[in-house]
Amino acid sequence: MDVLHSLMHGFSVFFTPYNLWMAVVGCFFGTMVGVLPGLGASATIALLIPFTFGMNATPAMIMIASLYYGSKYGGSITSILINIPGENASVVTTFDGYQMALQGRAGAALGIAAIGSFIGGVLGTFGLIFVAVPLAQFSLKFGPAEYFSLIIMGMLTIVFVGGKSITKSLMSGVLGISLGVVGADIVQGAPRFVFGIPELMDGIDFIVVVMGIFGLGEVLVSAEEYMKMDSIKVPFTKLWPTWKDIVDSRWAILRGTAIGFVIGALPGAGATIASFMSYGIEKSSSKHPERFGKGAIEGVAGPESANNAACSGAMAPLLALGIPGSGATAVMLGALMLYGLKPGPMLFTTSPDFVWALIASMFVGNVILLIMNLPMVPLFALSLRISYSLLYPIIIVICMIGVYSLNSSMFDIWMMWVFGIIGYFMKKYDISGAPLIIGLVLGPILEQSLYRALSLAHGSILVFVTRPISATLLAIAVVMSIVVSLKTIKTVRKQLSDEEG
Amino acid sequence: MKKADRIFALICLGLSGWLIQESFKYDYMTMYTPGPGFHPFWLGVCLGLLSLYLLYDTFRRKATKEDQESQLPGRKGLVRIGLIILITAVLAFLMTRLGFVLSSFVFIVLTLAILEKFKIVKSVLYGVVLSGAIFLIFRYWLEVDLPKGWLGF
Repeated sequence: MDVLHSLMHGFSVFFTPYNLWMAVVGCFFGTMVGVLPGLGASATIALLIPFTFGMNATPAMIMIASLYYGSKYGGSITSILINIPGENASVVTTFDGYQMALQGRAGAALGIAAIGSFIGGVLGTFGLIFVAVPLAQFSLKFGPAEYFSLIIMGMLTIVFVGGKSITKSLMSGVLGISLGVVGADIVQGAPRFVFGIPELMDGIDFIVVVMGIFGLGEVLVSAEEYMKMDSIKVPFTKLWPTWKDIVDSRWAILRGTAIGFVIGALPGAGATIASFMSYGIEKSSSKHPERFGKGAIEGVAGPESANNAACSGAMAPLLALGIPGSGATAVMLGALMLYGLKPGPMLFTTSPDFVWALIASMFVGNVILLIMNLPMVPLFALSLRISYSLLYPIIIVICMIGVYSLNSSMFDIWMMWVFGIIGYFMKKYDISGAPLIIGLVLGPILEQSLYRALSLAHGSILVFVTRPISATLLAIAVVMSIVVSLKTIKTVRKQLSDEEG
Repeated sequence: MKKADRIFALICLGLSGWLIQESFKYDYMTMYTPGPGFHPFWLGVCLGLLSLYLLYDTFRRKATKEDQESQLPGRKGLVRIGLIILITAVLAFLMTRLGFVLSSFVFIVLTLAILEKFKIVKSVLYGVVLSGAIFLIFRYWLEVDLPKGWLGF
């Protein structure tokens, strides 16, 4: 009952006209980000952060969170109407969504995507409450040693699950942590890797890096591909799915929600993997798997529910442990710290108003998105007519303003420019950017936990294995590494035998 | 891809050597806790080991189909990317000199006219409308302090 009471309190904090307006703004931007190519959720959140500095933390985070899950709603619109996923998590939606649109059922596909996303989002938020609260209570036992081991384990999972090459993802993570070393060190306050540049004294701002790698870098990649988007050819007049459509997809939605939430709550695997898994399960459990890829409504309903439930799930480790599972949640973690909140186990105890208002806003946000996405889809679809040639110069200019407004510094702008070029090559050569951002945000916390743990233990490194929770977390990390390397060994052996044979 | 991996590994190997060398400038240990040099030193070691593994891997693994395809766009694409990077640098360079409005106008006109092959009149028109709109939104609605130039805006 305690949880219910807290939630009610959260609603009472949330329901001010200003907070509600922020949720609407976030939902609108999120949907637009999902629809428009070339600017993902991570970059847009980073872009918005400087404009929220004057705000209170609660409305600011409400806007940012609603942008995050709103982008998953918007992503389905382009997938269905023009066969181009607006977001990675909507790639699967193109398989059956576009086929449905070609058959004149675009309205049904869009409708079921919105309804599935809504159910996934709302049930996922309930799941978030029931996972995050006990998780936060348990993690109150964590000292610096546990926190260190947790970050190590979390980062390894992120690397092992996501990204194509484990080695390159690990290197990306280490590079991120190394970037976090720049600035005054936490023990003696000595400037490290500053080279006499005063702008570097406060460290490298993660916002600048995110805007470079995910903003400018992404624009370069899309601009290269001559994004000449086809205008919408498919007719969509009937906007609502029929009752039969909804009945047909009810189990797909529920299964997608369950899969999405669990996958989302684990670090590393995110909305994209959740949507692929949901599609696979729907296809294999269907009595008519041959319909998939030809316009099966379950193939839209399942993955769309899964990617939204995954967003809610991803908030659990973020709020309860302060461990982000993806690039976008890492940016949100950075934002929390900028607002002066200390993410981690204590957040639920020290800032209950904030946490519960944020959770309450997620229920309301999903309602807003459902309302926005059912009747207003034609409006969002209109924005697809803007040519990319006009869009990317605007995105670049806005990225510049965003970075400049951080510290009114030209140094930051040049740094973003450099990271944009780096981001382009990273994208081209499959070096995942998310571990770098996560490393940059978590690196200083990692170093701090290491120092604290060692000074509490008078310098004994054994502290990480003698404390049971820390030892368990490290053991999980070791076992995971062994399993992954075994897999690598297997493929190596296979390659060798292929060569011999 | 193999070649790119090799280059990436070599760059990171260089970085790791540099990290380790720089870390010697700071205390490795204080009384009981690691000093400022501890963290960078071990990061350098990790990065170095990973780079060596990636390097070894590029020589050992069989070239996949992906390896054989070039990841970079053709000449035309590269010129396009290079131009965008260059024009963006021009924007950054002009910002503090011409002020935000004029420099973003120049940027939009250059991009549209050179890269997107818009007619010059159309580019200028779009430049005026877009840079003006962005300026008004950010300066007056969001109250962001934008760089001012010699002309004061």
